[in-house]
Amino acid sequence: MKLWVTRGILLATLIILGLWGWRAIFPSPERVIRKRLGELAQAASIKPNEGALVKLARSQKVASFFAVDAEIELDLPGRFPQSLSGRDDIMRAVASVRNMLTSLKVECLDISIQMGTDGESGIAHFTGKADLPGESTPQVEELQANFKKIDHEWQIQRITNVRTLR
Amino acid sequence: MAPTYKANQVNFINRLAYSFHPPRRGDVVAIKLAGTHVMYLKRIVGLPGETVAFTKGRLLINGEVLPEPYLAYGCNWEHEPELVGQDEYYVVGDNRSMDFFDHEQGRTTRERIVGKIVL
Repeated sequence: MKLWVTRGILLATLIILGLWGWRAIFPSPERVIRKRLGELAQAASIKPNEGALVKLARSQKVASFFAVDAEIELDLPGRFPQSLSGRDDIMRAVASVRNMLTSLKVECLDISIQMGTDGESGIAHFTGKADLPGESTPQVEELQANFKKIDHEWQIQRITNVRTLR
Repeated sequence: MAPTYKANQVNFINRLAYSFHPPRRGDVVAIKLAGTHVMYLKRIVGLPGETVAFTKGRLLINGEVLPEPYLAYGCNWEHEPELVGQDEYYVVGDNRSMDFFDHEQGRTTRERIVGKIVL
């Protein structure tokens, strides 16, 4: 009887470890998209005293999260609507911002993901938070990012802001 | 929400405040964005079915001036009458020292109102 209990516990442990391993090796698309947004926020953040080469490399890294034909459309209160089209355009804009700011902390919070029926696309809804140097309150914006699996990689096709107050 | 509430001040929200009655005019409420990690703190000024407008900085509800003793800064906001839909509330901050379009204000749905601030 004791042997059977031991075997049962061992089997249950193996099953749990197997499932954990399976999920670690083959994560669900939702987990991958969440991870991508976390990595994007990290890449978009600016550490103080960043060198020119680091700035360039990080701008390229940020752009790599976007599809070649990606679009960013932001219509923020009190500002002219901003529109970026294509990965190169995005990279130039990111590089320009990096040159202007001395530091920046970006976070993607409250991420919820709705997967497309094709399993190859998904929409992430989240709050983007940016702590700018010299500002006591962070900039926050509700955003929506459309992801698509291109060449086995989840890339952003479009980012738009969601008007919390209309 | 200055001067009523200051930036980076810790506030508590009563999530059960609207369990038995709908939000009321004058209530300061927390409004969620994508979730509750970051929320706006705003005052309800317009209720469902009302029209909200600003003329020479004065708030008009259904064409009548609403007294706002909580305001410390004057403004010159101008905004055409806007109908607040059913299940919607018009919210605005107490700090109106900036330009109308620089201020986060407008209509929000009941679902976005998390609760009422505890004074």
